[in-house]
Amino acid sequence: MGNLTKVQVDFATSHLIFPTLVGCILAALGLAILIRERRAILASPAMWRDTFAQMDKVRFFGTLVLTIVYFSAMVPVGDLRPNTGFGFLACSVPYVLLTGLLFMQERTAPRLAVLAVVSIVAPLLVWWLFGDVFFLTLP
Amino acid sequence: MDVLGLISPLFVFLICAGTFVGIIFGAIPGLTATMAVAVCLPMTYSLGLENGLALLLGLYVGGISGGLVPAILLGIPGTPSSITTCFDGYPMAQRGEGEKALRIGIFSSLIGGLISLAALWLFAPALADFAIKFSYVEKFLIIFFALTVMAALSSDMLLGIFSGFLGIFVSLIGVYDVTDGGNGHFRLIPPGTEYWLEGGFSLLPVLIALFGLATILDEAEKGMPEGLALSQIKVGEHSRFSFAVFRGQIVNLVRSSGIGTFIGILPGVGGSAASILSYTMAKTSSKTPERFGKGEPAGIIASESGNNGLTGGALVPLLSLGIPGDSTTALLIGAFALQGIQVGPLFIGNNPVTWDAMLIAMLIANVAMFVMMYFAIRWFAMVVAVPKHILYPVILMMCVIGAYTINYGIMFDVWTLLIFGIAGWLFGKLRLEVAPFIIGFILGPSAEIYFVKSLESFGDVTIFFTKSWIALLLWVLILGSVVGSILLSRRAKSGGATD
Repeated sequence: MGNLTKVQVDFATSHLIFPTLVGCILAALGLAILIRERRAILASPAMWRDTFAQMDKVRFFGTLVLTIVYFSAMVPVGDLRPNTGFGFLACSVPYVLLTGLLFMQERTAPRLAVLAVVSIVAPLLVWWLFGDVFFLTLP
Repeated sequence: MDVLGLISPLFVFLICAGTFVGIIFGAIPGLTATMAVAVCLPMTYSLGLENGLALLLGLYVGGISGGLVPAILLGIPGTPSSITTCFDGYPMAQRGEGEKALRIGIFSSLIGGLISLAALWLFAPALADFAIKFSYVEKFLIIFFALTVMAALSSDMLLGIFSGFLGIFVSLIGVYDVTDGGNGHFRLIPPGTEYWLEGGFSLLPVLIALFGLATILDEAEKGMPEGLALSQIKVGEHSRFSFAVFRGQIVNLVRSSGIGTFIGILPGVGGSAASILSYTMAKTSSKTPERFGKGEPAGIIASESGNNGLTGGALVPLLSLGIPGDSTTALLIGAFALQGIQVGPLFIGNNPVTWDAMLIAMLIANVAMFVMMYFAIRWFAMVVAVPKHILYPVILMMCVIGAYTINYGIMFDVWTLLIFGIAGWLFGKLRLEVAPFIIGFILGPSAEIYFVKSLESFGDVTIFFTKSWIALLLWVLILGSVVGSILLSRRAKSGGATD
C-alpha cells in the first residue's frame, strides 16, 4: 500500500504532470455531463437551429465582422505613422460610427448626429488621454 | 508612513471619479462593476499602485451600489447583486415612492459597505498571519477548497466544477515557467503557435473579453433592444424619505451586512448570493413576511446592505490568501500584476502603505457613493436611459486599449479578446459558468506549482492528507462544501417537485 502512494517526479517531464491530471479530470467530468445531459445533447442541433433562427444575424455577425476588420486594420494603418497611436485613432473613428449605426434601432437625424459626434470625440479623447496623459503604447 | 499623508488631492479625486463612473456602469442594465474595472484597468498602469487602486476600488463600490437605480425604477437589476432590490423597490416606485426607495437603498449600501470594511480591516491581517505558515500542501488545498466552494455554489454543480477545471486547463497553456521552479518546457501548444502562446493567454484580455465583449455579443444576438426613454423614468415626486424608516431595522441592517461580508469571503460566490440570502433571512425573521415583495422597505435594506457587504468581504481572501472573492476582485489581481506585485499572505506585511491606502480608499469610496447618490439621485436615474448604440461601441474601443496595453503593445492580446469574447458567448449557450472558469484560470498556475512541488518535496500523495492538522481541516471543509451542495441541490429538486 505504501508503495502505491509513492511518486517519483522526473524534473524533465514535470511540466506534463498537472496538465495530464487536469485533462483526465476534465475528461471524467465531461463524461459525467455527457451521461447526465444526454437528452439535451441529442436535442442540441434543434437548440442551435432555434438560436440561429431567433438571432439578430445582422447585428451579431456584423459586430464580429466589424471587430475582425478593426483589429486587422489597426497595425497596417498604424505603420503609416509609427509610434503615434495613429492606427488606433484612424480605425476607432469608423469602428465606433459603424457599430453605433449597427446597434441603433431607429436611425433618425438627431440620433445620427449625436453618434457622429461621439464617434469622433470619444476616440480622440481616449487617444489623447492614454497616449499623452498616461503614456501608454497604442497601435 | 503617516496615514493622512496618503490622502492627496489626486488620490481623493480618483476615488470620487471611480465611484462616479462605477455608479453609472452599475445603473445601466447590462453593464457591471466588473466591466467598469476591466475597462478602466489600463489607466492604472501609469497612476502607480495606490492611486490606481483608489480608482479601481471607487469603481468597485460605485458599480455594486449603482445597480439599485434600475432595480428600483425599472424592476431590472442593474447588476446581478441587486436582483432582490427589485422585489420591493419596484413596487415602491410604482406607487410613487421611487425616491424614498432609492434613498433607503443608498443608506443601506453605505452601512453594508462600512461594516464589511471593518471586517476587512480586522480579518485580512489575521488570516494572512495565519496563512504565512502554510506550506505548498496547504496552499494547494486552499486553492482546491476555493474551487470546490465556488463550483458547489454554481447554479449547476457539475457544470460549475467543469468550468473551473476548464479555466485551470486553459491557464496551463504555454511554458512551465522557470521562474516559478518549472522546467521551461512548452505544453498544450499547437505546433507553430509557440511565438504567441509562450506565456499563455494573458489574464486581462481574457477577463475583459468574458465580461465586456461577450456581454455585447449577447446583446447583439438579441437585436440590441432599446433602453427606456427619459420620459418613462419616474423617480416619484411625492415621497418623503426619513431616517425613521430604519427604526426597528438595525438588526436587519447589521445581519444583512454580516451575511454579505461572509459571502464575500467565500471565493467566487458573488453578490447575487449575498443579496438573496440576506433578503431570505430578513423575510423569514420578519413579523410581517407577507409584506415582502409588495414594497416593504425592510426588503430593500436587506438586499442593499447585503450586496454592499460583499465589497470588503471579497477583499479578505484576495489580500490574505491571494484568492479573489469575486470576479471584480479577480480583476484587481490584474492591477497588482501591472505593478509587479503578487498578492498573498505576505502582501499586507510587505506593503503596509498599499494596505492602508486600500482601507482609506474603500472608506472614502463608500462615503463618496453615499453623498453622490443621496444628493444627485435624480441625475443618476437619467443614466438608465443612455442609449446602447452610443455606449457599447465606446466600451468595445476601451476593451481594445485594455487588451493591447497589458503587455506593452502586443496585438495577439487583442485577438485573445476576440477569441474569449466568442468563448464567453458560447459559455452562455452551453450553460458553462464564467465565474468558476475565471477563478480556475487565475489560480491554475499557482495550483500547479504547489501540487508539483509538494510531490517533488515529499514523494508521496498521502502528504496532502497527513501534512498537518490544517490539511485535514481543509479536507473536512472541502468534503463539507461538496456534500452540503449536493444536499441543497436535492432539497431544491424535491421542493420543486412538491411545488
